[in-house]
Amino acid sequence: MVEFTIFFLFAAIAVIFALVVVLHRNPVVGALSLVASFFALAVMYVLLDAPFLAALQVIVYAGAIMVLFLFVIMLLNLQHVAEPSTRPIQQFLGYTSCSAFGIGLVYFIIKYVVLGPPTAEFKATAYDIGVRMFEAYIFPFEMVSILLLAAIVGALLLSGRTRPSEVTK
Amino acid sequence: MIPTQWFLILSAILFTIGVMGVLTRRNGITIFMSIELMVNAVNLTFLAYAKQFGQAHGLIFVFFIMAIAAAEAAVGLAIFISLFHHRDTIDVDEANLMHW
Repeated sequence: MVEFTIFFLFAAIAVIFALVVVLHRNPVVGALSLVASFFALAVMYVLLDAPFLAALQVIVYAGAIMVLFLFVIMLLNLQHVAEPSTRPIQQFLGYTSCSAFGIGLVYFIIKYVVLGPPTAEFKATAYDIGVRMFEAYIFPFEMVSILLLAAIVGALLLSGRTRPSEVTK
Repeated sequence: MIPTQWFLILSAILFTIGVMGVLTRRNGITIFMSIELMVNAVNLTFLAYAKQFGQAHGLIFVFFIMAIAAAEAAVGLAIFISLFHHRDTIDVDEANLMHW
């Protein structure tokens, strides 16, 4: 019973703050709401018996990635940038079509996804994940490390202050 | 025990909100945050099915998705900084050239 209460409370928090991200005009408010939404999702991960990934969610997503977002918003001083509402027809079409998409998705899940209670015992401690990662998934793990290195180099290259005139010299 | 379908429904709702953000907003940073929201919705689906079938492969997938989302955020934000330096805006309607 406590589980259900926690589920509905944090599901509501996740959905409401996600809506704030999409509908609020100030990106700083949006970024902080996204942090709140990620915290609620971390609670969902705990409910799904994955405490290690819940910790990663808080540390990596809410801690690192969203701080990067906030840092960029502050750096570019985008807090007061207004978004004039041009193209109302396209915006209306966007809202209606994705509402229809969402309703269809939920209807499909309710009607066709039939799952019994979980069959096997589920363990997802840091130990289990670590053993699998460094045995079966060692190659993708190394690939991800190379990808992160490439991302670092790419980010440095892209965000350097080079004007077009300097490039052509 | 919470049914797995409920997690799937929550994930579907969050994904739809992310799609809504991408389709209706023009601020580049907000679009990017909506994409992160969709990535998280998919992560929730992976974990729900991992628990349902008692396998840890979904967890490993979520781990890799988080690493790739970090890389994507770094490169994407660098692109927006670069765009801002050239155009003084991050309205994605203004970003209509492949080369400047």
